[in-house]
Parts: sequence; structure tokens; C-alpha cells
Amino acid sequence: MTRYLTRPGFILRFVVFAALLAFLLVPDRFAGLLAPLTSNGAPAIYNQGSLIDLTLSHLFTVALSTFAAAVVAVGLAIFVTRPAGAEFLALSRAVVNIGQTFPPVAVLALSVPAMGFGEAPTRTALFLYGLLPIFENTLTGLSTLPPAVVETASAMGMTGRQRLLKVELPLALPLIVEGIRLSAVIGLATATIGSTVAAKGLGEVIIAGLLSNNLAFIVQGGVITGILAVLISDGFQLVARRATRRRGAPVAAQPVDPNAA
Amino acid sequence: MIELSHLTKVYGDTAVVDNVDMTIEAGTITVIVGTSGSGKSTLLRMVNRLVEPTAGRVFIDGENVSTMPAHQLRRSIGYAIQNHGLFPHWTVARNIATVPMLLGWERAKVAARVEELMELFQLDHAQFAGRYPHELSGGQQQRVGVARAMAAKPTLLLMDEPFGALDPIIRAKAQADLKAIQRRTGTTILLVTHDMAEAVHLGDRIAVMDAGRLRQYAPAADILARPADAFVDDLIGTADRPFRYLTLGSLGSAVEPGEADGTPLPADASLYEGLGALLWSGRRTAPVVDAAGAPLGRVSLGGIANKAVRPK
Repeated sequence: MTRYLTRPGFILRFVVFAALLAFLLVPDRFAGLLAPLTSNGAPAIYNQGSLIDLTLSHLFTVALSTFAAAVVAVGLAIFVTRPAGAEFLALSRAVVNIGQTFPPVAVLALSVPAMGFGEAPTRTALFLYGLLPIFENTLTGLSTLPPAVVETASAMGMTGRQRLLKVELPLALPLIVEGIRLSAVIGLATATIGSTVAAKGLGEVIIAGLLSNNLAFIVQGGVITGILAVLISDGFQLVARRATRRRGAPVAAQPVDPNAA
Repeated sequence: MIELSHLTKVYGDTAVVDNVDMTIEAGTITVIVGTSGSGKSTLLRMVNRLVEPTAGRVFIDGENVSTMPAHQLRRSIGYAIQNHGLFPHWTVARNIATVPMLLGWERAKVAARVEELMELFQLDHAQFAGRYPHELSGGQQQRVGVARAMAAKPTLLLMDEPFGALDPIIRAKAQADLKAIQRRTGTTILLVTHDMAEAVHLGDRIAVMDAGRLRQYAPAADILARPADAFVDDLIGTADRPFRYLTLGSLGSAVEPGEADGTPLPADASLYEGLGALLWSGRRTAPVVDAAGAPLGRVSLGGIANKAVRPK
């Protein structure tokens, strides 16, 4: 861990994080930097809401949907890898795949008549969208464990539940974390379109920029979202690496990235 | 005592284990030997119910194993396999402590037992207790696997090709250690292997299996001297038979009066080792001494050769 702290990559990320924090806390100090992107005396810093509030609510929406998706997807993957749930494997794969195939914009559009404007349609879309990466990765993690290890767990006298909690989930953890990372990053980017249905988030800044032809707004909304995605992705990777290193052996299978062409 | 009664396992149309009857005496090592696909592993795994029999029953000390909850049964039976199956995310100490922890032993008692076992298996506690399995050599992993199997002092230990992944030198040492530990603890061992030499070396009794059927079940010497059928005969190997037979007897049994020159041989070495020592040093006779070094007489090539003659 200490070795990690002194790596150049970590120092760079820390500097980026500090810069982001400074920008969010005192954005007006950075007005000069963004002013060249504006014209006709338009404001350089988004002025229809606090940037830090928008960022926090953006993050909250993503965290909530990713958490819900993780609970459901991991639970489902556990269920279909037990003997009792094995026959639901194909069905649950199909359902989760539909969740991923459905474009988020379409989910938003369809949710608005049912739920009205605001956060709810966005959270629904992100939740559905986040299920697949977590489900597929957890499934891979649980179904590619070394057979000798799983069998000995039973042979030692572990009950099914003890085997799951003490052996299978800890060994599948690196892949599960990888799945959650993918969902969180996809969600972070996708959440910006939530602003089209009046969800509070960084999309608001980008849309305001597009409407008023203010390049400075577009850039700050985009850059904040991008940096958050990189930092969050890195954080999850750090956790996954530590989990992998503890179990020693290389991860049983490559993580599944459903977005990779 | 373990009794297998009409034990059968059918997969599809094939009887992998076909109506096997066997009685295993407590405190002995019984080796099940056979080619791959002979059903020997399936037979072993029906004892701790990793495989449920299609028909027949297993009794341990008179109790039918199918009447106990499977996980409780398994906590009372040690289990070690070829690729050790150590939990990669647990340290050596935690791995060895698996069954005692499942049984809810007190921490201090678990720690003491782990230390005791690591000493028994020649693993330095200070050095290895905190290591992860991937940081150990193959031989060390195998020893941790057996130590884990014996942690809760089971009276029965099941071993499926436990030495299969080891190189020959480490394997010979591991076999010798297992035999010594078994003699000390009196654990009943049921071991599966495809290696007849291992079976003869370790087994008090040997069960030969082929195509799901028990072909012969007898003390090692009987298997070598009186193979029940052509299959058992093949498995022993015609050329190797006299030499395998010599591994069963000790030099002490071939001592004759008289004196001889050269380095003395220990009386508790096997006839096979004695023959090798004579041939290699170019002698026809050699003195024999007991464990204390007192001379007992001598052995000769002719005397040892007489011991390799097929018994009538």
C-alpha cells in the first residue's frame, strides 16, 4: 500500500483530484482560465446552480443506482449458481441482457410518463443499465473457481452457506469489484443525459452550454464528469488489485466488459 | 472400522462402482489401486458423501453415514487430494485451522493444534504460519493439505492421489512421513492411487479395482504372490514383481550367521534396499547391524534372492 502511495501514477491522480476539488469549491477563481472559451461577455462559470451541489447530486444518483444494481446483480448471480437456481441461468441472462440493450434515453423517455420528471427515471435507467456488467462478472467469478478448492470446501464440512461466504465470494471478489467499477463508470457518463428529464446533475451544465452556445459551460461539465470517471475507476481498480494480490493466484478469468466490441 | 456394503454408483447406463463389498480395519492403511476410470475415486468419495451412492451403504463404526447430515459427517473425516485444494485467500495457519474452526473450537486450542501439526509436518511455525499457499513449494503445499485434513484429529482420513503432483524424491519422503505419522496417531487411512509401487509401499491391505469392480482385496504380500486374475497380474508388472515383493520384507528376516566385510547394513532396511546396496558395492555378502549398531550376522545375495521366490 505504501509502495502504491509513492508511485508517480498515484501522485498524478492526487494532483488531479486536488485540482478538481479546488475548482468545485471556488470555481470563480478559475473564471480567467475559461473566459477565452466564451463570447459576447457570457459568464465563464456556470451560474444557474452551485457546481459542487450538482456534482454531489450526480454522484449520489450514480452511487444509489450502482449500489442497487450491485445488490440485485450479485444476488441474482449467486442464485443462479446454486443448484436450486441453475435452471434460471439462461432466463436471467436474457433479462439482464435486455436491460443493457435498451438505450438509456429510451428508458428515460418511457419512464417519464410513469414516474414524472426528476431523479426517478434517471435512477431507473442507470440501475437497469448497470445490472449486466456486475451480473456477468459475478457469474464468471463464481463459475470459474478452481474445482479442487470448491470441492475441498465441501469435503471439510462447510455448509453451502459457509462455502459461499468463506470461499466462493472472497475468491470471486476481484471480478465482482471489476463489474461494479464498469457499472459505476458507465453510470457516471450516462447520468448526464438524466438532465434532459430534469434530474439534478452535471448534465445540466453541459445542456445549458449547448443551449446558450457557451463553450466554457460544455467544457467544465464534460471535464468534471470525465475526471470523476477516471478517479472512481482507479479507486475500484485499486480495490480489485488488492483483493487479487491477497489471494495470490492470478484472477481466474479476464473480467467481462459487455461494452467492449 | 469401515464397512462398504453392496456399494454401487451408476451414471447414465454405466456402473462406475459396481456392487463393492469391503471391510476396512481401524488403524490400518488401505490403498485402493486401479487405472483411471476404474471407479476408485468415486468409491472413496462415497465414504464422505461427496458422491451419494445409487445403491448400497457405508457404515463407519457401525453407523450408516447416510443417516448423518453430510456436513457434520465430513467434519469428522479428514480429506486430502492431489492438488491439495488449499484455500488461496487464507494463510497456512488459517487453512490448517479450517475444520477446528467449523467445529467451534476455542481460539487458543485451535492455535495450539495448528502449531502442533506444523511441527509434525516439519513446517517452521514462525516462518510459514502467515504465508499464503502460493508462496509455498509443491511439497510444502501437500504437507499443509494433509495437516489440514488431520487438524480435528479425525479417526478416518481419505486421500485421493495425495502425492500425485510431487516429484519422485519429495514423494518418497512424503510417503515415508505419512506412514510414520499414521503409525504414531493410529489414524485409519483409505488412500487412492494408480501407482502399484505406492500401494505396496504404503498399504497394509490393497484393494485392486477395475471397471467399477473390486478385483482383489488382500494384504500387499498376497496381492503380489497370488494375484487373483490377469488384470491384477498386469497391474503389478511381471518383471517388477520379485522386486516389489522384496520391498515388503526387512533385511532382518534374511540374516544368516557368519561375518562379512564392508559397510554394515541396518536390519530394518527393506530386502530391496539391501539387494541394491550389495549389487552396487559389488559384494556378495554384507554384515547386518541392529538399530543400536550391534552385529546380527550377515546377508547374502543368495539369501535375499531366496526371499524373492514366488511363495507356494
